[in-house]
Order: sequence, then structure tokens, then C-alpha cells
Amino acid sequence: VSKRKILATRAALTLTPPAVNRIRTLLENKPEYIGLKVGVRTRGCNGMTYTLDFTKQKDQADEEVLQDGVRVFIEKKAQLTLLGTEMDFVESKLSSEFVFNNPNIKGTCGCGESFNI
Amino acid sequence: QPVLLRCPQRSQPLYTDFSRLSSTTAEEEPAESSPVEEKVYLSASCVKRLGEIMGKGEYLRIQVEGGGCSGFQYKFIVDSTRNEDDRMFEQGGVGIIVDQDSLEFVKGSTLDYTQELIRSSFQMLKNPQADHGCSCGTSFSVKL
Repeated sequence: VSKRKILATRAALTLTPPAVNRIRTLLENKPEYIGLKVGVRTRGCNGMTYTLDFTKQKDQADEEVLQDGVRVFIEKKAQLTLLGTEMDFVESKLSSEFVFNNPNIKGTCGCGESFNI
Repeated sequence: QPVLLRCPQRSQPLYTDFSRLSSTTAEEEPAESSPVEEKVYLSASCVKRLGEIMGKGEYLRIQVEGGGCSGFQYKFIVDSTRNEDDRMFEQGGVGIIVDQDSLEFVKGSTLDYTQELIRSSFQMLKNPQADHGCSCGTSFSVKL
């Protein structure tokens, strides 16, 4: 039996131009990192929250998203949760943050950090 | 004669005023030792960030509103007007404004600018009035 790889027809995660720019600046002076890794963790008042880290290598189970020259890896656990999500970067005077516009979620916490599916 | 009469009249209210003042300070002293000071502290990162983003005459206003998943939530606004019931706290050339009602909920806390990979934002830390907070730190419930 040959190992058939199922190819995704759409990217699991899309990045908005501000997000791409931000990731590019973050990685600018860090040649040891190849990209960012997105994950989910059980935390917060609404079940889950997103995590974001620098990553040095691609793990076997990670889903790689390459867009406009920046790489984002999605942890195995988070792949189903994040499918179809748009990753945006919102900047204002008082705060700057990555925002995940996730079509799969049912509800979020008031601050938007925590969510449930 | 009128001069002589006026003198004791004047000294009497002065004396009673003074006694009232000293008695109130004596009453406040034991109360002041345990509760928190009516003040909001600024962390070093917060002072630095405010210095970067705030223009002249602009201040960060902290408001406490009902809402959020734990009952109350903090709101941060850039404001350039000071109202009558506002208290201002200055440190390192930057200032924040808190109105008296909100101050009751935030006194003793520290305003910090937290920088993480996923988000950078202002956060209230170590609020002595807050019992249990939301994970993001925006919302909190009050100790009863």
C-alpha cells in the first residue's frame, strides 16, 4: 500500500499583508529561526487560546504555510481548529496584536483571546 | 473694646478648626496602615511606551466598566481633557488619568506594557481589589 498524501486544496491559514509584514520584521535579525509556529492551548475562560512562538525547525506533523516569503507552521493539534483561519495583525496606539479570524469558532471571550469551538 | 472682643472670637474658631483637623488625622491613621494607597503605579516598560506614543497634552485614561466575562473590565483610552473628578499620576514625564470612581477599583495596581510575540498591550497587574481575572487580564471580579 503506497502512502498516499492527501493534498490540501486551500491553505490552512492565510495571512493578511499586515501580518506578513509583521512576521517579516520579527524574523529579520533572527537567522536561527525559520518561521513562527501557531498552536492552541487549553486556557482562558472560554476554553482555548492561541499560542505563537518562534520555531527553529519544522516538526514532522506540522503543517507548513508559505506565503509571500514568510513561513508559519501549524501544530498538529491546532490544524483542525485553525482550518480556514485568517491571521491578521492589528496595530493601534495602545496595543498591537495578532488576530485570528477563525470561521470554526462558536464564541469568544470579551477580549477575544479565548474561544471555543 | 471691639478689638479686644474680636480677638478671642477669632482665636476660638481657629482653635476648634485645628482640633477637628487633628482628630480626623488621628482617625485616618489606623485605617491608612492596612488598605492600599489611592494610587496607580506605572512600570518601567509602561513609562517607556507611553513616552513613545503620547503626544504633548495627551494622557492615558484608565476606566473601569461593567462587562467582560468576570464582571468588570479595564478600558484604556488616549485622552487630552481632564475632568474635575480626575486624578492624575505622573512618572518619568508621562501621565495617566483615572477618574475617582474607577480609582476605587484600581488603586494599588500597577499599569504595565506587556510585550509578547502574539500581542503587546497595556495591562493592569497586581490589582488588590481584583479577586479573579480573565486570562487576558482585561476583565476581573471584585473582592467582596
